[in-house]
Amino acid sequence: MRIRAALVVTALAATALAGCSGDSTPLPVTPDRRDAVATVPAPGGSQPAPPACDPRASLRPAGALPAPGDMPPGSYMATIQERGRLILGTSQDTLLFSSRNPFSGRIEGFDVDMGRQVAQAIFGDPDKIQIKVIGYDQRVSSAADGTVDLVADTMTANCERWTDVNFSSVYYEAGQKVLVSKSSTAKSIDDLGGKKICSAAGSTSFDNIGKVRTRPVAVARPAFGDCLVAFQRNEVDGISTDDTILAGMAAQDPYAKVIGRRFTEEPYAMAMGKSNPEFTRFVNAVLERNRADGTWRKTYDKWLGDVGPAPTPPKARYR
Amino acid sequence: MSTALAARPGVLRRVGGLRHSSPGRLQLLIAALLGLGLLAGVLAGVAGSSARAGTSDLGGRAQPLLVEAETIYSALADADTTAAQAFLAGGLEPAALTRRYDDDLARATTALTSAARRTAEDGSAAGAVRTLSAGVADYAALVATARANNRQGLPIGASYLSEASRLNRDTLQPQARQLFGDAQREVEDGYGEAAALGWVSLLLLSLLALLVALILTQRYLSRRTQRTFNVPLVAATALTVVLLLGAGTILLTQQTRLERAAGRGSGPVASIAESRILALQARGDEALTLAARAGSGPYEQDFATVAERLAQPGGPMVNQYGELDPALGRMMTRAAEGFQRYVTAHRDVRALDDSGDYEGAVKLAVGPETTKTFEGVRADLDQAYENRKAFFTEEISAAGSGLGLLTVGGPLLALAICVLAFAGLRARLEEYR
Repeated sequence: MRIRAALVVTALAATALAGCSGDSTPLPVTPDRRDAVATVPAPGGSQPAPPACDPRASLRPAGALPAPGDMPPGSYMATIQERGRLILGTSQDTLLFSSRNPFSGRIEGFDVDMGRQVAQAIFGDPDKIQIKVIGYDQRVSSAADGTVDLVADTMTANCERWTDVNFSSVYYEAGQKVLVSKSSTAKSIDDLGGKKICSAAGSTSFDNIGKVRTRPVAVARPAFGDCLVAFQRNEVDGISTDDTILAGMAAQDPYAKVIGRRFTEEPYAMAMGKSNPEFTRFVNAVLERNRADGTWRKTYDKWLGDVGPAPTPPKARYR
Repeated sequence: MSTALAARPGVLRRVGGLRHSSPGRLQLLIAALLGLGLLAGVLAGVAGSSARAGTSDLGGRAQPLLVEAETIYSALADADTTAAQAFLAGGLEPAALTRRYDDDLARATTALTSAARRTAEDGSAAGAVRTLSAGVADYAALVATARANNRQGLPIGASYLSEASRLNRDTLQPQARQLFGDAQREVEDGYGEAAALGWVSLLLLSLLALLVALILTQRYLSRRTQRTFNVPLVAATALTVVLLLGAGTILLTQQTRLERAAGRGSGPVASIAESRILALQARGDEALTLAARAGSGPYEQDFATVAERLAQPGGPMVNQYGELDPALGRMMTRAAEGFQRYVTAHRDVRALDDSGDYEGAVKLAVGPETTKTFEGVRADLDQAYENRKAFFTEEISAAGSGLGLLTVGGPLLALAICVLAFAGLRARLEEYR
């Protein structure tokens, strides 16, 4: 498994682009998500490789957490506290991780709760959070330029992205699978050569489809919700991305099924700007505490309980 | 064939020889007057019927097509706005918004059906109608799926809605805009056809020629004979003057009415339509900005552009409408002021959203106060639009009146002139037998 992960990392590295290399689309991207489809280059292109690294290793927390509402002066947390709210960048159509609840109109899920726990640690109030929906191809740039304080958006920590942003320690281990129609006889993505497989523009999943041996045709849509729409309208034969996102889709479509084993490893971490390492250390301290006191497990059960019993939380690694 | 050709120089010589004798000259005069009279009659019929056909095509096809194109465009823009607002409200869509969406869709499809009848089979207008017919069905299906998913609490509903909105804004509305532009061009061409200037000038020229010929004939006769007046020819002259004046009056009235319909009807109708579409677009931008939840984005930039255009003096909304009709001026002033109030409310919405109070922003945007302000603008624009539409219809029907009389009466009068001229000259010709 380790070897496979290493291969994936190298393969991902091969797709890195100039500039903010973590985004799979060149920057600056037009902010209009409608246009995203048109601007996506073919997956699997060859680009210069970034420095080798351990994408899972983050910055070590600096001692105990400060008391909520009493952030150390001069720190980025104090800036957030002064502003009165934490700005979280996420998506609104990834059921279970961050999606809009149609009944209340609120955005909620596992990723959103990760952000809310950081807000809780800063303010003592998880509601002091502003949610900004960002495109998949804007996750790196939004964190890097400070449009948002924190990105929690099923985002894989990898080495190209590390060159532009800081990642927290890993809070979830996902892996790419493929979703097809219930009637399909395919057993894994290898059986889908020549078929149209959808993924979000700017996601690592999109690039990974292009690397499958049997050459499925990668189709980009602005967001994963749009992929499910395309799938239900028979515009694509399948959707491939992290198993967690696919689980949220399968939950909405009884005629869809998720097949095969994970063929990549996608360690999810939160992204932040590089200029405030103290904030990354702070977020890691929050994660550390939540792993220990059972908050992580509770959050898992709340959102992902139906997928399976809670595993042990991913162990934090530091540099 | 060969005999006909051989006969021709003989005929010409014989006709040419006529002018050397007095009876021959009289025969030539009869032929000339009858020829001119018949020509005037035919031209009166053709000019009358062609102006009439053009006017009724303008009033009965081109202008209604313009109105329908506007209906399609604004109904689509409104459907997009309404669907986005219903989504923003959260939970089940409010019944009032659902009704309005249904109503928008019904208006768009009804207008599409009649627009299809009014467009030529080939050409870009027909292409736009075809794309729209297929697209609206697809759009309705997407929104229906969004609603069904929303009812089951599935977030995928939102994705269906944004797919629908993309289809509406990126494909349907541009097609509707094209149809609107085509219809505008058809109306402009329609004014040219209704004026039928070629036929009208030929008619007037032939009448003048007839009049001159009659007068010259009478001068010739009064010099050659002892009688100063030839009663039938005097009557023919009088009838020609009547025909000239009558045709002139009818055609002049028509041209004046057409000019009024164009400058004070069609022109303002298009500007008011543009105001209405832009206002709806701004309201849609606001809802889509909030629905995207990404802060001020491209839709907000679009809002700023639209708001600037609507506030611009001499633009589609702020203009000299009062000079056309004081009541219209009041409606448009009210609409412009209302829109400024709405823009102020919108600024508050953006301020709330940008400062992190998303729910407050949504509440203000779809709340009763802002809705009332915006609906006021829309009602004023609707009223102004109807005002100009009614003006146009009235002018066009007035422009058409009298053309029927010219078509039928003109040839009859010309025939009477011919009969009188013939009678007057024949009496003189008899004297030589």
